[in-house]
Amino acid sequence: MKSLQLSRRTVLRGVGATLALPLLDIMSPSCCRAGSSSQAGVTPPRRAAFFYIPNGVVQSAWNPVDTGETFTLSPTLQPLETVREHVLVLSNIGRVKTPGTDGHAQASTCWLSTAAPDELSPDGYPLKRTIDQVIADHTGHETAFRSLELSCNPYADNRESIYFDNISWYGGSHVARSLRDPQQVFNRLFRVEQHISSRSVLDLVMQDARSLNPRLGQRDREKLEEYTQAVRTVEQQIERVQQRQDDIRQLNPQTPVKPWQAMHRDEFIQVMGDLMILALQTDLTRVATLMTAPERWSSPLKVEGWFERPIEHHSLTHGQANDGVRNDLAKLDRFHLEQFVHLVQKMAAVPEGEGSLLDNTMFMLGSGLSSGELHECTNLPTLIAGRAAGRLKTGQHVRYPTGTPIANLWVTLANIMGIKQDRFGDSTGPLQEIEAA
Amino acid sequence: MPTFPIFFNVLSVAFTASLVFIDSAAAQPRFDYHSIRGRQPLLMATKRCEGETDFELRGKSRAQDMRNFGALWSGDAHLLWDGVVGESLQTSFEVDAAGVYDLVLQLTIAPDYGILDVMLDGTDVCQSIDTYNAQVGLAPLLTISDVSLAVGRQAITFKLTGSNVQAQKFQASNYLMGLDYLELKRKDNSLLVAPVADISGSLADSDAFPQQALKGAPLSTDELTATMKQFCFRCHGGEATEAKLDLSLFGTRETLLTRIEDTQRIRDAVARREMPPKDERQPPDAVRARMLATVDAVISDYLKDHRSHSPVVMRRLNRYEYSNAVRDLLQLRGDVYPLPEKTIRVDNLYFDPASGRFPNAVRVSNRTMGKEQIEEKILTSVSPFAIDLQADGGFNNRGNQLSVSPILLESFLTLGRSIVDSPEFDAYCKITDSFFTSPQDATLEQQQILARMRLLPFLELAFRSPVEEAVLNRYHGYFSQCLTKTNSFSQSMKDVVAGVLASPRFIYISESAFEDGDVPLNAYELATRLSFFLWSSLPDEILLAAARDGSLLKPDVLDLQTRRMLEDPRSQALAQNFARQWLRLDQLVTAVPDIERFPQYYSRIGCEQWGFGLQMMVEPLLLFESMMVEDRSVMLLIDSNYTYRSDELQAWYGADLPFADRENRNRFNTERQQFSKRLLTDRRQGGVLTAAATLTMTSSPLRTSPIARGAWVATVIFNQPPPPPPDVIPPIEADDKVIEAQGLTLRERLKQHQVNASCVACHAKIDPLGFALENFDAIGRWRDHYSSGLEIDATGELFGSMPFQNVVELKDQLLAHPELFLRAFSEHMLSYAIARKLELEDAPAVDEILSKVSTDHGQFSTVIRSIVQSHPFQN
Repeated sequence: MKSLQLSRRTVLRGVGATLALPLLDIMSPSCCRAGSSSQAGVTPPRRAAFFYIPNGVVQSAWNPVDTGETFTLSPTLQPLETVREHVLVLSNIGRVKTPGTDGHAQASTCWLSTAAPDELSPDGYPLKRTIDQVIADHTGHETAFRSLELSCNPYADNRESIYFDNISWYGGSHVARSLRDPQQVFNRLFRVEQHISSRSVLDLVMQDARSLNPRLGQRDREKLEEYTQAVRTVEQQIERVQQRQDDIRQLNPQTPVKPWQAMHRDEFIQVMGDLMILALQTDLTRVATLMTAPERWSSPLKVEGWFERPIEHHSLTHGQANDGVRNDLAKLDRFHLEQFVHLVQKMAAVPEGEGSLLDNTMFMLGSGLSSGELHECTNLPTLIAGRAAGRLKTGQHVRYPTGTPIANLWVTLANIMGIKQDRFGDSTGPLQEIEAA
Repeated sequence: MPTFPIFFNVLSVAFTASLVFIDSAAAQPRFDYHSIRGRQPLLMATKRCEGETDFELRGKSRAQDMRNFGALWSGDAHLLWDGVVGESLQTSFEVDAAGVYDLVLQLTIAPDYGILDVMLDGTDVCQSIDTYNAQVGLAPLLTISDVSLAVGRQAITFKLTGSNVQAQKFQASNYLMGLDYLELKRKDNSLLVAPVADISGSLADSDAFPQQALKGAPLSTDELTATMKQFCFRCHGGEATEAKLDLSLFGTRETLLTRIEDTQRIRDAVARREMPPKDERQPPDAVRARMLATVDAVISDYLKDHRSHSPVVMRRLNRYEYSNAVRDLLQLRGDVYPLPEKTIRVDNLYFDPASGRFPNAVRVSNRTMGKEQIEEKILTSVSPFAIDLQADGGFNNRGNQLSVSPILLESFLTLGRSIVDSPEFDAYCKITDSFFTSPQDATLEQQQILARMRLLPFLELAFRSPVEEAVLNRYHGYFSQCLTKTNSFSQSMKDVVAGVLASPRFIYISESAFEDGDVPLNAYELATRLSFFLWSSLPDEILLAAARDGSLLKPDVLDLQTRRMLEDPRSQALAQNFARQWLRLDQLVTAVPDIERFPQYYSRIGCEQWGFGLQMMVEPLLLFESMMVEDRSVMLLIDSNYTYRSDELQAWYGADLPFADRENRNRFNTERQQFSKRLLTDRRQGGVLTAAATLTMTSSPLRTSPIARGAWVATVIFNQPPPPPPDVIPPIEADDKVIEAQGLTLRERLKQHQVNASCVACHAKIDPLGFALENFDAIGRWRDHYSSGLEIDATGELFGSMPFQNVVELKDQLLAHPELFLRAFSEHMLSYAIARKLELEDAPAVDEILSKVSTDHGQFSTVIRSIVQSHPFQN
């Protein structure tokens, strides 16, 4: 367990309007603080973060025409200009769609899945423990929180099922449900006493669970295992939060001042992103997922400053044969990309070791559909920002042969995160050309 | 045995077939579903005597119509009498059974009303009641407690004893008195232990119910193959496998048996005349009937061998249930945290099913769409976990979608702690004294004993099971630890409760102890299933007692408990939790009619936060609640001759909308307001199909969406959710003005849009249901024509054999074939009750339920009681 040391330099600029974060500075692990002498030479930890955009993208506006380091940014990718040296653009990576479940539900649920197309969960999804959780299995014992699942789902209705609303899964029918409310995320990360006060009853409920177990049938026993797993995770979490409590208390960030329901779209995504960055930066976790919005959910939505009227993302995708609709849709894609780029810039501004937080992170943008129009998954929009401590060769566009499984990317990411596994699902091997020599 | 993941729409073995072959029953006189009403009073036997009808009218007393003064009066009238000071009105009312009663008196107040004494048999029971008020209205309720009454007419005297100084005289010398009603609430009922008649004997034998109107002899293997070759193979044979169905593989009984799900699909499509498609060659009816007979024989054989059910997966409580359960366990005065799921918010309890009467007017606001959702705070620093989402085509209580993750466990841990530690807790909790407090002079040892005594019943209730010694020791041991640490009895009990609220025994409902499979629930499990079905909460002490002594396993006791629980106000959970989800009403929250096209939908422009949906949403819920409380027929959800609306909502259905032109600010009421009962004569209104809420939430911003409406009807009204849309969906214009500018109606445009046979076949099922509602625009207002002047075509056909010209005829068809909706409603309710998806094996149980429900013309309590009596509910 690393200890945190804080000084007073700025990290998160330009966000404070909604989330009054302190003008704090480096809260990175002591081993990799800029100019740290005590443990010089210790490598900063690597992190993996995932940024999900629903319903695919306008392919014609997304795909760069040429490849290599000098590739031309496509219209949608224009916002990458300022950070292009930090970003990898990957084309033609896809997944095989399995019949029997809804295309959108499968898109979100199975984007990070490590299952092969024919490994079906009880509800019919090709779904096994998702890659973020696989990575967390490896990195989670180092940090207070094994992983962080966040969602900027803005909808007040409950139109769709959990399969449209989650990208992170412990297993085929065990969802790692995300937090939607920045205030709750904040409390979880920074309200130390909230965790410590829960400690005393953990033994009690664990004993209760154990004594319940022999009375159950096989299926229910598996269900109860979710509970006992959670107790174990929370136990460790409390222990580590306690070890870090002085650091965390010293941070003393201020709580978000607006309820999420009142936030504009960009504020909501940036506030969640800030919380994610803060958690990565302070080594409270090394793995995070952030959904900008859930799949499909055909309810109109305001995107303030970008569209005059509420728009329905999903319906637009089916109308993109029309020029006007397609332009609107591409604009929405650009909106999401700008949100991503803002977060990339913020990560780049967090000094860490010789470089920045971004340099030690793989921050990935993707969607479970290439395009919402036909629910295809052959060319999933895929960007990776950050070099993962020099392991990735950023600043280029790589186009793979059609049919390259996204599981190959998971193999690559897992390897970079230190997991020695050469296969996930239908993978055929790590991705070529993106690892630095 | 394998379980089959199948759609609901396969569950229609007996009844849809009969529909197909019977000619439209529209010619027969239609049953009046409004005649179904009321139940035998059971628990708090309450009888209401109306002033204007149930009292002897003597002397100057008369009935007065009160509608001019608003909708507050029960029966819209009261008994009016006047006299000079000193005079009395002597009258009487009927008592049906001797016993001890509380009498509740509702008097009228007005500017010329006097001061009264009330006497029973010459004895004063109430003195000096001043009924003067500057405005005409209702007096606060008066309760006369513990009165012993004999059977027969009971005399009552109202004596005018004086007048308020401000009161005006009536006709120069007199003062008035108005009696709206008198309620008799029986207190000494022993009904709960009295035996009641077994209702199952009085119900029609399910075997006697008509199975099929037209029977045909089954086809031989060769005949079946030849028939399918002739009529089906062009699209479903060998090379052509539309809908992934290759019928060339289905020639024999064995293949039909092994592919039972597909067999069921085939059966439904043939029975409902969906297949072959309209424009293909049709088999003669006799051939169709023989084909059905063949398939039915196979299915019925299959069901004989597969009576068992997939077990219900152990599940955790969802957010709504958790709040109710904590509320009832700790006897809190209200909810634990704000629940937008509970749409209707009121000041006073109006939901009183024991009375059998729903008030004529209620003052409510909308918690889901109103301001209070954000502002409401109940207990400081107690915040709920995220809402649980509904399963696809189902409810949010299914175990396979209710996982526990570390984040959720943290929530449970924190919640339990924050509830008992919140500063308001002691005042909010009714067992602060009896559970959390020990006598001041109690020694440590006495406190230990006291805690153990109190924990035993507490844990039994919390965990819905007998308390094992080991469990009691565990929690008591924890108490002792805490007591040593804190030296506070109260704090230590709170610590224990925080633990209980996070225990798997509290947060999980487990119904398959020891083994998986089709075994009867034990009495505690049955009690738990029953209470979470009817109350979305824990059993109460009475139900628990029936579980403890095992008597709940007796059918008559189970039925009695069911009836009792339906009469408890907690059964409102069925409206809050079931009805809201069944109708998918929360979709109205995100409906955004275009603000320029439909400015009247928004309370003010520029700040369109409050939509008129907040008034609309209340209407179908109040209809559902009134149907429940008065125990009417669920067919009222299709066609009702009354509804509950605010004045503004009433105007919404009319030709003129007075507030549409109101200035751009607070155009309509967004706060608490009165919803009154409105009698309907226009059959375009009433029921849930044509409610403004439904019509608005199934529209897009600039036009109606007949496909979304059709899918809603297919799912909600028929429980036949359409298959997911294909990957390739040709675009369609978002604005009907753009479509109409091309000289096309939306219907014509959508027709163009169906590019191949598979589009046509599927949309033929969905679209007519949506177009039947096309006379209602995107905000649910009636229109005779499109705005461009184009004609609206609302005609269609239900299941290929029930034509309708417009929405009223659609309702007529549904009333003429009530099994369609009764089956769907029963299936939805059963699926909700047992917290799982229905499977083919449940079909016989659904048939039995439907048989009972049909016999009782859809009476609500029969739906609930027959579900509780069904095999899937008890196993």
